[in-house]
Amino acid sequence: MEQLSVGEDLFAALAVVGLLVLFIAALAHSYHLYGERRNAYESFNLALDIAEDIKNRVLTASPGSIDLTVNKLEDYFKLLAREGIGLRVEVRTLGGEVLLARGPEQNPLEGYFSPPCSVSLPVAVARDQGSAQLCELVVWVGER
Amino acid sequence: MNEQGIGYIADMLVFALLISFASLLLVGASPIDPKIESTRYAASFAQSTLLALQHSTADEFGGFKYQLNTLSSELNVPVLKGSTKRNLRHKTLVQLLVEDALLNLHIEAEGAEVKPLGPSWGMKSELREFLKGVLDKLIGGRFGYRLIVRSLPLDLGFVWVYFESEIKNLNEDAQRKLCSETIVATLPISQEELTRRIQKMLDTTLELEPDIAVEITLELWPS
Repeated sequence: MEQLSVGEDLFAALAVVGLLVLFIAALAHSYHLYGERRNAYESFNLALDIAEDIKNRVLTASPGSIDLTVNKLEDYFKLLAREGIGLRVEVRTLGGEVLLARGPEQNPLEGYFSPPCSVSLPVAVARDQGSAQLCELVVWVGER
Repeated sequence: MNEQGIGYIADMLVFALLISFASLLLVGASPIDPKIESTRYAASFAQSTLLALQHSTADEFGGFKYQLNTLSSELNVPVLKGSTKRNLRHKTLVQLLVEDALLNLHIEAEGAEVKPLGPSWGMKSELREFLKGVLDKLIGGRFGYRLIVRSLPLDLGFVWVYFESEIKNLNEDAQRKLCSETIVATLPISQEELTRRIQKMLDTTLELEPDIAVEITLELWPS
């Protein structure tokens, strides 16, 4: 059996190990990116499901319009909290005035590696005398 | 370096190549088709928009009024002109669209368009502008859109009654429509009244009673 020569063979071994480590790090990073993307899709899907659920069931006043009853949302929040879903719901006028806000405020930079995902849908908010105001329902889904 | 060492290095390089290939595959791979996701969101957005338009009144967007063009240009008296203004601030946006359809029905008799006997209603262009402003506020920036309002054509033998109008704001280069959602509304007029109006225009008697439904379709396109 031949001996390892300290000069060339050790250098070659180090170069190969270094290269391998680099490639494996790249692979791990790619997998992380893939996971982030999958999480983003899942969060987006979940946010859309929740927004539709709130619009069509939880806050529905009449088909197509919602009323801003906080009590109804409370129960829904408790239900989702039991499943470990962090959530913020806002109903804003088209001018930006917040009519209803529930849940902790979401900071997009807070979860840098898994930022909260949001979905917004137009809704009509029922008012007195049968009229309705055109607003935007925004749902953020945070940590799970 | 001996031959065995070179063999190891070659093995490692092949292995590294496989790893980089796997990395590239992972970077390019998408867990879910983004087209499906955007289509699903667009469909939900379009449904919500149409439902919201059914409930929101014109008042919210500063109201909608238009001038009835009942007077000839010689009688351009401000007092009379003011009395022909029609304020529809209490109407929902869908009611406005349906009223537009009713006032601007196209009637063709034996291939020739029949002009309505009533005044030339000044609603059409004003309503387009008003609704475009509303839709730009509601949808603009997220999606391109096309709102199509049309009635199912009514064939009464020699008479053809229909309505079609379109409001759009979309990127002409967009090739793939994301979704199309439709609601159906009925004209705010009884069948008898509508038949009577058409009969008056054509100066004839119709055997069938028209029952015209108006389809309001919202298409969303990538912005």
